[in-house]
Amino acid sequence: MSDPAQIIVEDVCHHYRPAVGREVLALESVSLQVREREFLALLGPSGCGKSTLLYLIGGFLPIKTGKILVDGKPVAGPGPDRGIVFQNFALFPWKTVRKNVLYGLERQPLRREERETRAQNFIDLVGLTGFEQSYPSQLSGGMKQRVAIARTLAIDPRMLLMDEPFGALDAQTRSLMQSELLAIWEKTRKTVIFVTHDVHEAVYLAERVAVMTARPGRIKTIVDTQFDKADPDVHRTKVFVEKVDEVWNLVRDEAIKALEKRPP
Amino acid sequence: MTDIPVPKTFFTPNILVRYSPLLILALSWEAASRLHLVSSLALPPLTDVAQAWVELLQSGELVSNGLSSLYRAGAGLALAIVVGGALGIFMASSRTVNAMLGPLVELFYPMPKSALIPVTALWLGFGDGSKILLIFLGCMLPVTIGAFNGARGSDQHLTWSARSMGAGRLRMTWDVVVPSALPELLNGIRTALALSFILLVSSELIVARQGFGYLIGYLGANGSYEAMFAVVLTVAFVGFLADRVYQALVKRALRWRE
Amino acid sequence: MARVTDAMRCLGWGAVRLAPIVVLLTAWEMFARSGAVTPFMLPALSTVVERIYDDALGGELAINVGVTLYRALTGFAIAAVGGVVLGAAMARSAAARWFFDPIISVGFPMPKIAFLPIIILWLGLYDVSKITMVVLDAIFPVVTATIAGIASVEKELLWSARNMGATDRELLWQILLPAALPQIITGLQVALPIALIVVVVTEMQMGGYGLGGAMMQASRFANSRGVFAGIVEIAVVGYALVAAMAALRRRLLVWHQEGQGGIG
Repeated sequence: MSDPAQIIVEDVCHHYRPAVGREVLALESVSLQVREREFLALLGPSGCGKSTLLYLIGGFLPIKTGKILVDGKPVAGPGPDRGIVFQNFALFPWKTVRKNVLYGLERQPLRREERETRAQNFIDLVGLTGFEQSYPSQLSGGMKQRVAIARTLAIDPRMLLMDEPFGALDAQTRSLMQSELLAIWEKTRKTVIFVTHDVHEAVYLAERVAVMTARPGRIKTIVDTQFDKADPDVHRTKVFVEKVDEVWNLVRDEAIKALEKRPP
Repeated sequence: MTDIPVPKTFFTPNILVRYSPLLILALSWEAASRLHLVSSLALPPLTDVAQAWVELLQSGELVSNGLSSLYRAGAGLALAIVVGGALGIFMASSRTVNAMLGPLVELFYPMPKSALIPVTALWLGFGDGSKILLIFLGCMLPVTIGAFNGARGSDQHLTWSARSMGAGRLRMTWDVVVPSALPELLNGIRTALALSFILLVSSELIVARQGFGYLIGYLGANGSYEAMFAVVLTVAFVGFLADRVYQALVKRALRWRE
Repeated sequence: MARVTDAMRCLGWGAVRLAPIVVLLTAWEMFARSGAVTPFMLPALSTVVERIYDDALGGELAINVGVTLYRALTGFAIAAVGGVVLGAAMARSAAARWFFDPIISVGFPMPKIAFLPIIILWLGLYDVSKITMVVLDAIFPVVTATIAGIASVEKELLWSARNMGATDRELLWQILLPAALPQIITGLQVALPIALIVVVVTEMQMGGYGLGGAMMQASRFANSRGVFAGIVEIAVVGYALVAAMAALRRRLLVWHQEGQGGIG
């Protein structure tokens, strides 16, 4: 590898204190490196801390043990360099689609026309032309997520942090959104860290899949899932099926462990 | 590096810490009055007020007026709950009744119930009757609305199950509709409870010869401000206590819900 | 053609809603005239309307309604602004929360009208004391609604905004308060009738101009027509205010409507 990784996670631990009960160790000594322009999936059973790791990289949670460097600098809080997309869309319900996409742009030193053009471009990119004046309450789940993606892409972040973005969508919409995301990624080529518990999704979308253990989460293995995904029937190809099998075998033990764990 | 400040719950395990601001206020009151930072006529020292309170208690004035007030509020509220609750459930169970009475409920709801003070005084004078009528009329609607919403929300499947097991209309209402309507109904009664105190005190301040409100006015007119403050605080506290006790009872009654 | 039937349906619907009221008014008139009760106990609707009409012509109605509205709305406005500010402060500052929480939670169920004689002692017999009493009563539901509203804002909304570069101050004004707006407005909808109830009581207690004062005056002179006229007038005012508030809610929360029908 010639350049240093864009994101370096070193020996990060994270505790949290639930409403009742003792402190819980969510992440234990997690180390990970993500290259620039790479699509990496964080895969693991529920409660393994994959979202927590994402939030730490995003700067939404304080890093108390270990360190996280992004572009050589330690993470000190949230910022537009690490765009985030949430599972529940987190759209501002009182703003129209256009205003939602404009929100991040308004915080940047751009001229008015530039902002409007950029916003429109990204609305078009995600296929929502014509819905600029709609409110989120008028949109379907898939459309809402597209607005969220457009909104985050519009601020031109250095990387995208995606927290199970398609988890709240029905199966058909989910699979459509997956191919669209891949197409958008190929066009914009940002670094992406994609959290999911769905093995198929991880293998389909990512170039590398980091499998995490059950709580307390660690990186168990990283599997290379880079192959030609242009074929619309890629899900049935031998390569794909074998990869899914490989990853699933790694995850399965952890999933069972997660099921057996009693709440603290 | 900060986490986004998300408000925590208000529960602090230590009651003393939780209510200490009130203690601070009480101390500030005493200090401000004794040190003459404010006119001790307008704000008599808290200790003097406490003393006046004891005297009122001993003379029997506080108790006799208090009982009179509580009797009126209690009677009016009881009537409001029974009639209002029945009305609400009735409206929820019949579409025609709902169509007939619904618009009337909507019409009377925004009317300030205190407007009924002069007319009840006109009809029934300055005694218990006018207050009881006032509180009955004024507190009925919140109970009706609570009962209505609660009964409406009653699970269809529960009622069908009951019916298929042979329950008649009345039996079913009692066994199925009322329990599932309980939370909303109890919430409506809580509103009515608070409203009953407001109407009680209001009417007694203006048109009464007995009761907490009357006593406050009488003491004020006499210039016995310490005693007046004592009764004001007593009434306020009784209202607060009634609500807390009510909530505790409701929690007990709704235990099965959790 | 469809337009006409739509309009007719609206009218029909309105007629159904209005019918019980018409029935009630007719019953009033007939019952009063029947001789079952004296005109003192229940003056006929027609005489009451006549009295209202006279008041309107003489200018008294305008003065009384105007004065009452002025006091109620001024108190309401102060309670609204103060309540939101205090609620926001309590939601954001642990110190504010510690200090005010017992005051709010103990004060809420108290019949604060009991403090009226004290307020009169301190502030005299004019508008100031009336408005102060209104503020004291109406501020509580606004504070609790604001706190509840802000507390229920999903953290992903805040994180998204931070992600896009919002500062703490922007977070409060641009995200928290708009997101909490539905609940805040509900609090205001509770506070408005309270303001009216309280203003009427203060006017009855202190006399003078205003609908409450006028009714009390009529009552003292055993003028039952006047008392009933006052009831009708206040009922109309109350209804109009609540309806106006509901319309304002619909306008401000046009984005909030569930059941707007999803697309796709």
